[in-house]
Amino acid sequence: MSDAAAPAPAPAPIRRNGFTNETLEWRSWLQPLEPEKASPLQFEVLDESHPQARTSAYYLTLAHQPLMLRHRSAAYNAIMYAPGGLPRAERELGAMVVSVTNGCVYCTSVHAQRFAQLAKRQDTVEQVFDDPASAGTTERERAIARFAIAVTTRPQALVADDIEPLRGVGMNDEEIIDLLHAVAIFGWANRLMHNLGEPAPAT
Amino acid sequence: MNDSDVIDRAAGLAPGDPLHTARRFRAKVVEATQASHDALLMQPVPGLSPADRLRVAVHACEAAGATDLAGHYAELLASDASRSAAASPALSEMLRFAARLTTDPRLSDRAAITALKGAGLDDAAIVALAQLVAFLSYQLRVVAGLKALHAGRGGRR
Repeated sequence: MSDAAAPAPAPAPIRRNGFTNETLEWRSWLQPLEPEKASPLQFEVLDESHPQARTSAYYLTLAHQPLMLRHRSAAYNAIMYAPGGLPRAERELGAMVVSVTNGCVYCTSVHAQRFAQLAKRQDTVEQVFDDPASAGTTERERAIARFAIAVTTRPQALVADDIEPLRGVGMNDEEIIDLLHAVAIFGWANRLMHNLGEPAPAT
Repeated sequence: MNDSDVIDRAAGLAPGDPLHTARRFRAKVVEATQASHDALLMQPVPGLSPADRLRVAVHACEAAGATDLAGHYAELLASDASRSAAASPALSEMLRFAARLTTDPRLSDRAAITALKGAGLDDAAIVALAQLVAFLSYQLRVVAGLKALHAGRGGRR
């Protein structure tokens, strides 16, 4: 087959252990802000937060407290999108591992997609859905996954030995802090996504 | 940026420490984290006084074993002007919600939100409370990770 115009067949979705990389919707357990009742500040903060925030039940729910959302979004966007430091695919890997560990099906689907887009492969996605503790296609990915689980499940027991594997795969202080931020902020994001509403199949 | 913020103090990082400097590689994250802390505690929210938020923060940090941050919030509570007013009748429900959400987000469910509504919190107050508790889970992990990094560099724990 050499017909370059033929669209590539869509890869089969990955569905394991209740997780999926398919696009999901999210339903709030609270009453999201009605866009026609939004204040200028609320619109401003929604637009700062995410390009589609004005039509997202999640952001419209958080917009009940616009200044809290403003600073959360500033932190989140700087942690996940800022250039330099740890490659973005590796921040997404950390986010995906934490989301699986915390049982956040919606966050997992989003960050499985982002990881695959940035890494241009998705073998690691299947591994994380199967067993985050052993997941990783390279030694570096395995070190990231194990650190993400340790930070998520036993933060008060973290010691220098938990950092050593990251140094061993070549990370400097700035990159380790980037990973720590990405993993920690999913402790924040998962608790909102998974506890203020629930995922639903996309319509 | 030679000042210290809440995370530096809880993690034992002083200006001039290599990790204090390394954190400033992401100055926007440092600023937005401190601004989140301030807004989550001090932005006016009907039905959720700053003192009750500080009580929630102390309780959540204690539930997580984050004694450094629990001490920070207890100190803020001791000097908060609203502490002498009566605590909200919903406080015990808020503390229960905070401890469960902090310990393991898989434990919490829709019934937890229904219980907060039943205790009298409106949706805007529930968003503020959930944001605060979720933020604490982030903050205590950043502090714990920085401490482990600091220990690995030969810094004191």
